[in-house]
Amino acid sequence: MEHKVAYLSQQWRDEAEKRLKAELSPEKMKHLTSSVAYVYVDCPDGKIKYLYFKMDNGQFSKILVGENDPPDADFRVTGPYEIFASLTQGKIKAQWALMRGKLKLKGNMVKALKLASLADRMNKIFESIPTHY
Amino acid sequence: MPKLLDKKDPFFIDFPMRVALIQKGMAKERIDVYLGSRLRTLSWVSDAFCPWRSYVVIPPEGLPTVFTFVIDSARIADESWLDDDHVLGYAPMGGMDQISIISDFIKDILKGKKGRIGFETGMSNYLPEGNLTHFEYEAFRAALPGHEFINAHSIVDRLSIIKDQGTINRFRKASRIVDEGHRAVKEALSNGGWKGVTETEIAGIAALAMRRAGSVWEWSFTGGNEIASGYRTGLAGCACTPATTRKLKKGDSLMVDIHAMFKLALGDHAHNYFIGSATKRQLWHARNFIDIVSRTLKSYKAGASPSSIAEEMMGFAEERGFAEYMVPGFEHGIGMLGDEWRIGMNDGPFPYWTDPDHTYKENEVLICAMQYACPDEQIGFRYENPILILKDKCEAMSKFGLRIEVIE
Repeated sequence: MEHKVAYLSQQWRDEAEKRLKAELSPEKMKHLTSSVAYVYVDCPDGKIKYLYFKMDNGQFSKILVGENDPPDADFRVTGPYEIFASLTQGKIKAQWALMRGKLKLKGNMVKALKLASLADRMNKIFESIPTHY
Repeated sequence: MPKLLDKKDPFFIDFPMRVALIQKGMAKERIDVYLGSRLRTLSWVSDAFCPWRSYVVIPPEGLPTVFTFVIDSARIADESWLDDDHVLGYAPMGGMDQISIISDFIKDILKGKKGRIGFETGMSNYLPEGNLTHFEYEAFRAALPGHEFINAHSIVDRLSIIKDQGTINRFRKASRIVDEGHRAVKEALSNGGWKGVTETEIAGIAALAMRRAGSVWEWSFTGGNEIASGYRTGLAGCACTPATTRKLKKGDSLMVDIHAMFKLALGDHAHNYFIGSATKRQLWHARNFIDIVSRTLKSYKAGASPSSIAEEMMGFAEERGFAEYMVPGFEHGIGMLGDEWRIGMNDGPFPYWTDPDHTYKENEVLICAMQYACPDEQIGFRYENPILILKDKCEAMSKFGLRIEVIE
């Protein structure tokens, strides 16, 4: 039976980092330097959690999971746990959620547009992690 | 970082200084954040053409941030002195719609405190004015509860009345460009070239010449280049003539009112002709018009007012027996794109119309705008020209000769 890790746990973070680094080269990440924080509200345990990425020249230099306020980031995407969970299970697309106001973006929209395809690539990788939600 | 501006450029405008002056005005009126939405404010602050619904948020200190429809924000950042961190796009996405993104931005400026937010409301006869709509106002109030909203447009209005040298030079250049358009139209219509030509073609001939000379847009919201021929020149009060497909005919009067935009400064000059021939009666009307325009241009100077000019000119027209053909208004306001029609502050007897007793000051720019219409004889003329008010005279910026010629 496939071993599953808990979503947003330290094990899930480690697995995400391993897969992101293996599958998304700096070239595939367009040598991007930026940072993104996903803020999860209405988590099953009632807490606010976050998933934070920092990229330097296309390399993932920091990936964090935690509770409450995330570190400052160029972009912050806030939304319910359920929506993020659907996103990382491939049930919905980020654009679908943003266009319906299910997720709220904070940051420079024009720069965010350039990141949209990269975010989709990252979500594909999250989708591949055996996870229990 | 904002882009460096070349102070030696004849078209240089000190935009950081403009922002600092607005911030000084905000401090005086205890306004914590200024939310501009009028096209005139956006042009005056950003130095970029903002055709989509746009807003500018000015903090108490530091750089302003423009918010516009996301499809146009990179272009505006490219053309403005502001960098792309200060030109942000809005879109129908969570947190990115114009109300959410701007109200969140204002909350960040105020760091959790409740503040006084200056905004722009009022009314205008000018369609693209851009006052905050009732819906937007209510939505911002709901998104920013506990904040006080103050109508604050007079801060920008006061600062933008007197033009700086860079703005004046931009207007001069836009007027030179319009002169090129007039030359091209005259050349195209001369020696029988007018036969079979439509008003729309004349508008296009002028547009091509002006674009070749550096214009980026026939900016007028009244229909770009306004061309009227024959009976259309004589429609009562007729100061709005988007070109039609009417073909020129011998004996027509022809009104060529063309517009160029150069670095958001606006060229606007109307010139008149007769096509093929003119009767004695038509030439009498033409002489009346040329004489009153010449006299009007000699009357503008610092210290004059719209009412003093109108009184003097209508007296002259009465004396000469053509007062019934004159539209009794002789000018309208002008500034960088979006600033049109009203002259001076909103302090006249009718809200948001020109105060007839507004006293002109040196370095104001306005459009001398005169309309002569005789519907019964299907004849009319228009004169428009940006003028710079000087101490004891005015400078007519467009130099295309003041006359009404018969084009053979």
